[in-house]
Amino acid sequence: MIEKLSENVMDKVSIDFLRDQVLKNAYGNDDTPIAKLDPRVLLLWYLFFGLVPWFVSDVVVLLGMFLFTAATTRLARVAPLVLFVFALGVFSQTGYMFIVSLFFGGNLSTLIPLLVLTLKVATISLASITVFSGLDPDKLSNGLLWFGCPERLSFSIGFAYRILPILMEELQNILLSYRLRGRAPAHDTLGGKVRWLIYQVKTIVQSFYPLMLNTAKRSRTTVEALELKGYRYAATNMKVLKIKLSSLHAGRREALFAVVSVLWIALCFAAPRILEVLS
Amino acid sequence: MSSIAERGATQSQKLMVFVLSMSLYGLATLISELIPSIQIGIVELSVEFFLFIPLTLAMLFDPLSAALGAATGELVFSEIMLGQFGGLGELEKFLTVTIGVYIAGLMVRNPKSVKQVAIAAITGPAIQLAMSAVVDIVKVQVAVDDFEAVAGLPESVFATEGFAFLNDLCFSGILFCLLPTLFLVPRLYGKIEPLLGCKPRTADNDAVPALSGHVIGWSVVGFIVAIVVACVSKAGMSIIEWEAEWAESQTAIFVGIAVAAVIALVAGFWARRSAQLKNA
Repeated sequence: MIEKLSENVMDKVSIDFLRDQVLKNAYGNDDTPIAKLDPRVLLLWYLFFGLVPWFVSDVVVLLGMFLFTAATTRLARVAPLVLFVFALGVFSQTGYMFIVSLFFGGNLSTLIPLLVLTLKVATISLASITVFSGLDPDKLSNGLLWFGCPERLSFSIGFAYRILPILMEELQNILLSYRLRGRAPAHDTLGGKVRWLIYQVKTIVQSFYPLMLNTAKRSRTTVEALELKGYRYAATNMKVLKIKLSSLHAGRREALFAVVSVLWIALCFAAPRILEVLS
Repeated sequence: MSSIAERGATQSQKLMVFVLSMSLYGLATLISELIPSIQIGIVELSVEFFLFIPLTLAMLFDPLSAALGAATGELVFSEIMLGQFGGLGELEKFLTVTIGVYIAGLMVRNPKSVKQVAIAAITGPAIQLAMSAVVDIVKVQVAVDDFEAVAGLPESVFATEGFAFLNDLCFSGILFCLLPTLFLVPRLYGKIEPLLGCKPRTADNDAVPALSGHVIGWSVVGFIVAIVVACVSKAGMSIIEWEAEWAESQTAIFVGIAVAAVIALVAGFWARRSAQLKNA
């Protein structure tokens, strides 16, 4: 099993693959219908879909909301890796709990409350995937800034996407140089495999030592460059904000999106009544 | 002026620590989010615990900046970038990570003392894990309506959470927090500080506030906020139910009024903000 594991870890998670997926997710799909929308409208939309499902416990309404967010996620053309992480996350939040509760004498009736919980979690996560993965980072941070979020948060988002590929490459280089210089223990026997795993983990921990020093230098350069541009004062100055946010525009497309959302939600809430009347 | 700069960290140095901690911990959480966790029997050896990075930085630099940077990094890199942003739920994680790392950083007065570093490096994660276990239990109790009525659910939640806490603390806590921190702090001490242009922390020039009742008070407040945030759904539910009971026939009207109020608030905020930016 350990062999399968280490194969898993080492093969699937090549750092190049990760970097490609993350970058593709961030910058690869800015021509989707979702990415073209105004970030402010999308954030308000998210505020609804991120909060309201928690208050609803009707399965039909939740199912409707879930279908809608699934459709928007499809429209946003999110990278497969993100969807995989989403599925894993939903399962680890609620799926395993069902299995464990079976051991404690639960039965299928346990499934209904857990289904409600799963639908809630899934709807909220899909809404966030739509908004935060569908938008490109500059638009997202501008939208957050418009709502008066701390400048540090929107700076962090913009900075993260730019620094991440560099940091990943650097970590990979350090790991490779450790691998070149060191000698991995033979992993034919079980003891050897354990030692091999320990060796890998140790290498990762040790490679953070040079990485920390390098990143320290880099963050000093970044901050000094920001200070030269008057970052800390510009962040709170309304005139600067006005120039920065002048690209935001909400028009007909946004109105259409909002109307469709509202109609669908109204339909979801009305569905039980309609069914009652019909039957 | 110079004495201030020498003793404590300046604003720009704090920003540097923030950026450093954010990018490093963000990278680590992003990677760990994607690596499947390792199962040996029923013991889960999750690699998700790269907490040694912010712990080390909090012990060497200004603890608050390092703690906030780590929490922001996790939020931005592994939640927002991967689209895993859970809304209010993330606030709870943000607060517990910040409190755990900040307290660990404050506990170390002298980074050269192995004993202090070791105690802080295990206490920080313990605090963080305990808080998130409590929040998880409360969250499930709140989210599932008839929690007590569902057969086997309460016991299973307590069992899984309690077991996860002990398991995380014993395995991840020691392997990924205690040992790496003990390895990194003495090596980085005196080397990394000049890169950010500040003096190493010593026992006597310490400008970092001591671990006082004040800090503990704020941490407790933060923890309570985290629980309240987790419970907000239940509270919201009962308010709505209460309204419905109070005026059964007028429910529709009240819902209408609430929706109208929310729309008016949003529109008002939108107009105000636009005007603010226009007049700037």
